[in-house]
Amino acid sequence: MKNSLLFGLIVASLGASMLISLALGRYEIELGTLWQLLVWKCLSVGSAPHDVTLLSNIVFDIRLPRILAVVLVGAALSVSGGAFQAMFVNPLVSPGILGVLAGASFGAALGIMISNSWLGVQLFAFAFGFLAVLAALGVAKIYGKNGSQMILLVLGGVISSSLFSALLSVVKFVADPYNKLPTIVYWLMGSFSAVDMKTLISVAIPLLLSTVILSLMGKYLNILSLGDDDAKALGVRVAWVRNSAILLATLLSTLTVVVAGMIGWVGLIIPHIARFLVGADNRVLLPMCALLGATFLVIVDTLCRTSMSIEIPIGIATSLIGIPIFVLALRNAKKGFV
Amino acid sequence: MSFYEAHNLHFSYNDKVILKGVDLRIEEGSIVSLLGANGTGKSTLMKLFLGLLHPSSGEVMLKGKSLHAYSIKERALHVSYVPQSTQIAFAFCALDMVLMGRIAFESWFKRASQTDITLAREAMERLGIVHLEKRTFQTLSGGEKQLVLIARSLAQGAKILVMDEPVSGLDYGNQLRLLETIMSLSKEGYTFLKSTHFPEHALMLGGYTYALKEGHILAHGLTSKTITETLINELYNTNVALKQTLCGYPVCIPAFVQTK
Repeated sequence: MKNSLLFGLIVASLGASMLISLALGRYEIELGTLWQLLVWKCLSVGSAPHDVTLLSNIVFDIRLPRILAVVLVGAALSVSGGAFQAMFVNPLVSPGILGVLAGASFGAALGIMISNSWLGVQLFAFAFGFLAVLAALGVAKIYGKNGSQMILLVLGGVISSSLFSALLSVVKFVADPYNKLPTIVYWLMGSFSAVDMKTLISVAIPLLLSTVILSLMGKYLNILSLGDDDAKALGVRVAWVRNSAILLATLLSTLTVVVAGMIGWVGLIIPHIARFLVGADNRVLLPMCALLGATFLVIVDTLCRTSMSIEIPIGIATSLIGIPIFVLALRNAKKGFV
Repeated sequence: MSFYEAHNLHFSYNDKVILKGVDLRIEEGSIVSLLGANGTGKSTLMKLFLGLLHPSSGEVMLKGKSLHAYSIKERALHVSYVPQSTQIAFAFCALDMVLMGRIAFESWFKRASQTDITLAREAMERLGIVHLEKRTFQTLSGGEKQLVLIARSLAQGAKILVMDEPVSGLDYGNQLRLLETIMSLSKEGYTFLKSTHFPEHALMLGGYTYALKEGHILAHGLTSKTITETLINELYNTNVALKQTLCGYPVCIPAFVQTK
């Protein structure tokens, strides 16, 4: 009961923040006018507002794709963070644990350097995100025949992350400093400014689907957090569940990089706040992560594009906002991450 | 056909030989205690019986069929594991912990059915812990945690419980209460394979005892016949005397204790 009320509240604030975000920007639209436009466009009721072509262009072609992308990316980062935390039985784990973010950043940087198309960059980011996770799993596999899988996976992730960070530095070093390097650096700070309808359409379905499936895997992730032996004795095919969860979480993380570059901290702090609100049961926690992450990122993105005359890269904003929140969240750490 | 047994079980881990030809037979409804010093392979042996490890050679047979011929789900229907009340990083309530015993029988992506919840509650009721169902697992005492984990096994529906040092970390009162629970469940037809550090506990529960030393079974049989002064001293490298009390019940008395 308490939870459904909470979910209702978060859904309402997500809706509200999306509406406000639609209204705010360089060209400010009054909420009343926005409402009139939305009702007229979507339900064909009422009359068209003044300047309808301009308003439609701003709201539906420019702001809406971006806001929807923000919602999907916020949800994806938070759910994959929450899932990784459950899998690794460690609340300090973030989506980058298996090297996916480092790999995808390297891929994007390489793509920027050698290809001139946006699609090329996205494909590179996607491919190298997966490659980095495969590298981490491979390292774990070499030594992990009998030992503890989790530790080896973490170490594999550390190795893979470091490798791709180093490779990223190489790319930065050799990239053309006037043309390519700024693009790479800017990409790594994360931004939704390049999102258009085409990008949104191509990533929306896999993002939405993986987020929903991963959220629904909650009860299996609960079992994984008991440890492998325990889970196996309960009749769960541990390797299968873990690999599917890793696959989905990796897909989600790489796609966020494809859409918006590197956005740190969301996948680490949102699961903490969600756990604080609804407890550790992943069946409830993961859907809550999705909603909370989406709301959080919509608010941060709106701040990024409206608070100053130039747009603040969102990766910087999430770090600056995320760090103090994380310090506060650590106060709960002593109580066993209730 | 015997109920649950291992024949000539060998196991090595990273070239280190841990079990060297172990035979172990468990009758249905009996309590089998595994005794042995630290690092003699008790936990390994139990993991082999749970199907969590594969033996290097030899086989564990359950009802005449190799344990690995069972699917993981079928196996969970017969054999369950009661771990030491391990540190669990995330907070689940006691009922949810017990419900996890039903996981293999729930359908994908669905929440626990009413049947599953009823089964979980019944299991908790049997152990007298239904009043704890809303409590967070971490806030429970060691004894209560152990009972929640046993309830999980009961909810799982398995009739064989494999317990890894069930009394470790419990205070004296909770130790005795836990042994009593094991005893009464065994009378209801549950089978137990448990490791213990206390020969006295094996003696209290009766049943059968297997003494493990350096990967071999040193002695086995009815607990009352198997646990002798010589065996204890050889297993643990101690100097204790096994004395009968007036009512015929044996107790261990270490040599350093002054007796009349």
